[in-house]
Amino acid sequence: MQIFRFIMPLLSVLISVLCFAPTAWAFCGFYVAKADTKLYNKASQVVIARDSDRTVLTMANDYQGEVKDFAMVVPVPTVIKKEQVRVADPKIIERLDAFSAPRLVEYFDEDPCNTYNQRGGDRFLALPSAQLNEAESPRRDRSLGVTVEAQFNVGEYDIVVLSAKESGGLETWLNRNGYKIPRGAKQLLKPYIRSSMKFFVAKVNLNKFAQSGYEFLRPLQISYQSPKFMLPIRLGMINATTEQDLIVYVLSPKGQAEITNYRTVKVPSNLNIPTFIKEEFGDFYKSTFETAYTKEGKRVAFLEYAWDMSNCDPCAAEPLTPEELKQAGVFWLDSDSPSEPISPRFRRPFPTSNVFISRLHVRYTRDKFPEDLMFQDTSNRESFQGRYILQHPFTGEVKCQAGKEYKRSLPRRFEQEAQTLAKLTNWNIQDIRRKMRLTVGNITNSWWERLFSWLGM
Amino acid sequence: MLLKDIRDYQILFLSLFLILGIGTRDWTLRPEFIAVAIATCLATQCILSLVKRQGGRGQGEDSFLVPSPLNIRSALITALGLSLLLRADHWTTIALAAASAIASKFFLQVNQKHFFNPGNFGIITALVFTSDAWVSPGQWGEDWWYGLLFAGTGGMILQRIGRWDTTAAFLGAYSLLEAIRNFWLGWTWDVYWHRLMSGSLLLFALFMVTDPRSIPNARIGRVIWAASIAIVTFVLRNYFFLPTAVFWALFMFAPLTILFDIFCAAPRFSWVKNESTVTSQLLKEV
Repeated sequence: MQIFRFIMPLLSVLISVLCFAPTAWAFCGFYVAKADTKLYNKASQVVIARDSDRTVLTMANDYQGEVKDFAMVVPVPTVIKKEQVRVADPKIIERLDAFSAPRLVEYFDEDPCNTYNQRGGDRFLALPSAQLNEAESPRRDRSLGVTVEAQFNVGEYDIVVLSAKESGGLETWLNRNGYKIPRGAKQLLKPYIRSSMKFFVAKVNLNKFAQSGYEFLRPLQISYQSPKFMLPIRLGMINATTEQDLIVYVLSPKGQAEITNYRTVKVPSNLNIPTFIKEEFGDFYKSTFETAYTKEGKRVAFLEYAWDMSNCDPCAAEPLTPEELKQAGVFWLDSDSPSEPISPRFRRPFPTSNVFISRLHVRYTRDKFPEDLMFQDTSNRESFQGRYILQHPFTGEVKCQAGKEYKRSLPRRFEQEAQTLAKLTNWNIQDIRRKMRLTVGNITNSWWERLFSWLGM
Repeated sequence: MLLKDIRDYQILFLSLFLILGIGTRDWTLRPEFIAVAIATCLATQCILSLVKRQGGRGQGEDSFLVPSPLNIRSALITALGLSLLLRADHWTTIALAAASAIASKFFLQVNQKHFFNPGNFGIITALVFTSDAWVSPGQWGEDWWYGLLFAGTGGMILQRIGRWDTTAAFLGAYSLLEAIRNFWLGWTWDVYWHRLMSGSLLLFALFMVTDPRSIPNARIGRVIWAASIAIVTFVLRNYFFLPTAVFWALFMFAPLTILFDIFCAAPRFSWVKNESTVTSQLLKEV
């Protein structure tokens, strides 16, 4: 992928930010539907590759309505020219998602009578990306007016970059051109216009889309240079009454990214949970996230993953190749020494590369997140992952003394796991115990009967 | 002796914040780094005081060496302040910040008054000269009870050292500018409150910008000085998008303390004077 350099005039001090937001991807813009189709969005996903003030922003397009109705308006910090926009491969975002998703690891207890090796082999399961809420769709209005800074076509998209002097004019223009603006947008457009931002408006060129042969809309990727490191979320909340989920993958040569105007908190991690969760990991993570989110007062951002991109342990998916990283917007790989090639194998003894990924999960609502998200990249290279552990008990016959003690220790361990799970997910502990009985129940009888007598059941 | 000195309260409160921060805000703060900060600050303080005393004998009394020859309190406050604010990947960065913070007190002074806030100097040194230091402005979040805690404890200290004016000038000027900007941009007022309720901003306003030893002596000087810091902070934050704006603003204005002291003469602050003397000084200033 090309590196787009874009020299901004010094005046840019006053130019605000980078804000990008497609709305359907509800985070920092809004969808403007051309018809009354209900638009739904799941979690918005954004990839930000950033080194000093150069940024490559990729917005996943999870638009699910009729393609002909798709259109979006996103505030951007500078005028965006044709060379600064490309269409990215949708697989890249899936790859990043799979690589950084919270994961379940599985260990098997060895025969306790076999003393030479206590620890079983471990396996892990990647978890399907946690998916999220639906947000609301915009509504309508009509009028006219505004300067067209650039107009071009990229892939299946027709793009117009606008600048406006006042929100009324912009609203008028959009309406005149057939975009439906959500009610209340005018007031929210004003701060962006006053911060000298431009508006990136994209819709689908149906002919090109038909020629492309793709079934879905591909992500749009924009490059620009601006000191501001932020994502505008306010526009996406115009009509939303529900919580919205945004997953931001920040790729940086330095280290972890964090949000500077809200707290960034790690999701609960490295906990032992009952083995039946293997079948319902998606639900488990959703509840865990919801519980943590509620516990923190619904006003924090969560860090789900932070890792050097050259390795992983365990790997939920293979690390991205340098080619894939470039696709994701990483533009600094060439200039730096070809460094360590990224290992195609899973467990290489931790090389380091100069791409560090942070996966931030923000669930926001209008009342708890009044301000747009501001980020910073720090030099923190500490690794973190959302990781949950299944420890399978040894199910064979045991004859030795140690084995008996092991069996005796199990009920307590299971209870511990049940309580951990209840605490994490806020699920009913009785239900959890019942499910555990079902899964571990048919292993042997002797010990788990004791478990329930011990539990007083 | 304990808790006689106002700085003992400061040490107590800063330790409390540190414990609260680690306990309830899950910071990426490593205990060994706190130990490094404290050890380095104390060691630097001891060494430089000894050297200075050897070299400066006969130069007249040096007030900050008087109460306790090693001035452990001040060094401890600096160490705690650094631990609260500065993050780094390697302990060497923390050590560098701590050592330079204390050294700035000894080497960067005019008329025996150091003009940089030591903690602030240490933070800027680490940010500029190392590649692995950072500050997390969002680490406190914006829970109201933190604001209350900071305002209460900070207010108590400010009450005793008589430096309310500085905090008031800083916060007043800053919130006014933010209010004007918010109004002009057309944001709703919850955006404004969210920007002001940041725990880090309050901590800075109540505990760092008010260090009586390194800020202008005269009230009018302090007010103008603090308001200028607020203006620069506002500009750096909103137009240069620096998350560390407050620290840079204080750093830039610290040397101007000297000018303010020349133009607005007033008795210098000393930790050893008791409260009544401080009050009478303030009365004289007015």
